[in-house]
Amino acid sequence: MQKHILNRLKKVFKVEGDIKAPLRIKIVADKDLVSSILLYLKNQMGFIHLNHMSCVDWIEDNKFELVYIVWHPEQKQTVLVHTFIDRDNPVMENIDTIWDQANTYEREMREMYGIEFPGLVGAKEFILEDWQEMPPMRRDFDTKKYAKETYATRPGRENARDVRKEIMKRSGEELPEFAKKYSRD
Amino acid sequence: MFEMTTLVIPTEQRRSDEESLITENKMTNNPDKNIKTLGIPTEEEIKQAQIDFAPRCTSAGRVNDKETQKMVQYILNFARKHSLFVLAYGTGCGAIEIPATMTSRYDAERFGIRGAATPRQADVLMITGYLSTKTLKRVIRVYEQMQDPKYVIAFGSCTINGGMYFDSYNTIKALDRYLPVDVYIAGCMPRPESVINGFIKLQELIQNGNAGGGKCYRDNLDWYRANQQKVIKNWDFPDKYNW
Amino acid sequence: MIEKETTLYLGPQHPGITGNMMIKLKVKGDVVTHAETHVGYLHRAFEKLIEGRNWLQSFTLLCRFCVPEPDPMELTYARAVEQIEGRDVPPRAKYIRTIVAELARIQSFLLWYGGQSGSSGLYTLGQWSVGDRNYILDLFEDLTGARIYHMYMWPGGVRRDLPEGWVDKAYKTMDYLERRLVDYNKLLFDNAIFQKRAQGVGIIPKDKAIEWGVVGAPLRGTGIKHDVRIDEPYEAYADLDFVVPTYEGGDVWARALVRRDEIKQSISIIRQALDKMPGGSYYNRIPNPMKWTVPAGEAWVKTESVRGEIGFYVVSDGGNKPRRVHLKGAAYTHGVSVLEKILPGQNIADVSFILNSLGVCPPEIER
Repeated sequence: MQKHILNRLKKVFKVEGDIKAPLRIKIVADKDLVSSILLYLKNQMGFIHLNHMSCVDWIEDNKFELVYIVWHPEQKQTVLVHTFIDRDNPVMENIDTIWDQANTYEREMREMYGIEFPGLVGAKEFILEDWQEMPPMRRDFDTKKYAKETYATRPGRENARDVRKEIMKRSGEELPEFAKKYSRD
Repeated sequence: MFEMTTLVIPTEQRRSDEESLITENKMTNNPDKNIKTLGIPTEEEIKQAQIDFAPRCTSAGRVNDKETQKMVQYILNFARKHSLFVLAYGTGCGAIEIPATMTSRYDAERFGIRGAATPRQADVLMITGYLSTKTLKRVIRVYEQMQDPKYVIAFGSCTINGGMYFDSYNTIKALDRYLPVDVYIAGCMPRPESVINGFIKLQELIQNGNAGGGKCYRDNLDWYRANQQKVIKNWDFPDKYNW
Repeated sequence: MIEKETTLYLGPQHPGITGNMMIKLKVKGDVVTHAETHVGYLHRAFEKLIEGRNWLQSFTLLCRFCVPEPDPMELTYARAVEQIEGRDVPPRAKYIRTIVAELARIQSFLLWYGGQSGSSGLYTLGQWSVGDRNYILDLFEDLTGARIYHMYMWPGGVRRDLPEGWVDKAYKTMDYLERRLVDYNKLLFDNAIFQKRAQGVGIIPKDKAIEWGVVGAPLRGTGIKHDVRIDEPYEAYADLDFVVPTYEGGDVWARALVRRDEIKQSISIIRQALDKMPGGSYYNRIPNPMKWTVPAGEAWVKTESVRGEIGFYVVSDGGNKPRRVHLKGAAYTHGVSVLEKILPGQNIADVSFILNSLGVCPPEIER
């Protein structure tokens, strides 16, 4: 079954791919082919359920990897369609005409990675509000540095120091016997 | 890892203790290199410290300031402490223990604690956990809509010092910079017993006339506004409230 | 007929909203004409933070992905890491994991009873079921040390063995719950108010359901039999007997019936797993967690949770930290695109009713 699906995809689209695990087929396709592969999978081969869309930032290779995961309700097979796009000019074809729920994923990706999907409708802000920095899920965004600069932290709690004794002193409680052996002092 | 004990510190006491903690560090000259030991502070540092520390609420709790009305105040406080209406707003994941606290086993209603649907009817704003900046904006709006007397209970470790979200770009780290907190409940998750314990502490504060978060907020509005505007980028609040 | 269209903001501070989210409704009179979900109030940037934690540290963050039912998150992630690494799990650990996952399912169902009945004005059932939920949380506390967030399942097994006397306590709790279920069902399903409000409300069409991305109980409520526990059996589910209930209709009533039957199945699964519990080790030792590296690879792993199928897409680059961990929760489609499709035409009063029946969990959408 898996071989049959893979061979059919290889024959029609000339893509590379292999069987990763039982019920998992992975194919790597060119960026321009993805939407036609997905349309073919949905309309001709019965993979009518879009399970997931994900994005991985490969900053070393200056590339974003996009993953589309589709599922066949009768054969219970899953196909993972991988593609790579340029990180400096991240533009990808919009597939929310094939599956409506792809709109949600694409809005999130636009916000979190800065990937543009031409023709995508929906509010610009999905999760964040008034965000002025670079898209936060990119690997070169330093969340710790940003948090330190933006938010006030409580004095005395800048590091992982053991403050239980001081808390005890404030509240007048005794450190229980069993807790003493976990103290880092 | 699973700290279940309650740490409840009244606002006033906590602030003074925090200061004493820092002077202690200065005197003993802590050998731990990671801790910033305070030498002789420069003027800039003093200014920064004044900004960083929450203002003290000295004459807290006196909603009606006339000393002569002590008896009336006592009766009013007694009534207030036994009817705490908690605003039904699950701002974070701590909201999962609220149903357990309110229902049959723990039954918080025997202390006069029950839910209220809208901010206008509520006395207590419960911040159940971390606040993202997007929610903080709504929470401030909700808090300002509440009528006096009003109290804030901060729930969970992440409201105290950021907790496990210490390096998150979207959550605030110390709630009392932005809203006046009356009682903190530590733990992740605090158990329903801890929650009830925190409420009883709040009742004590109310009875003694020490739970004056609302008045503190009004008196130090500029300081709170400055802190809030640092975090909330697109500021579109009304300038003045008619309290 | 009222012609004027008004905008109504339902939430984020609203007693009927499950969690912290907002639905922007356009209404004509009492009827919703357009709905738009706004999320992001609970965004903690987990997926960003996990990139900075090592493989074992990320478990403390992972279980907070969804608050009402944290265990499937740990289970799915642990299975994903095992799959990339090729690590075996001893059979005893598999059975314990199955029991914990099913206990989590039951406690989440009991919370759902409270939410579903509370949103239709029946508060008694919430008092009972959420109160009884504490008995399951007690079991968790004995087993893991915590009521809500357990961090109990690790790659290679579970953190602790079953404590002494726990099995008996679990049997007793199951017996108690089975007795109580009769009362719950009398209170909810024999109630004319609930019947009238639930039947024919919030219909998901059967022919569109899979294409829309509907999973879990809402999908089984349309008559389509789909359950990850049967399609791709994981842990000990292949050895256990259970039925996946389906009902026709696709409305709130059908979803409620599916859940009513599933909770009975969960009790039966836990009993079977306790009966068949094999001996031996409960974990497969992992190396020093601070130096532990997972070979490069990727995994897409699915688990059946209460709200439906959840999946983790995990990528490792061979280091001691995950490269990418991406959760697909059931609420991601249910709470946004499906909800926006089925709300038009409904009454305003039914919105929170439908939200509860779809099991929308906002922290799962924005993470």
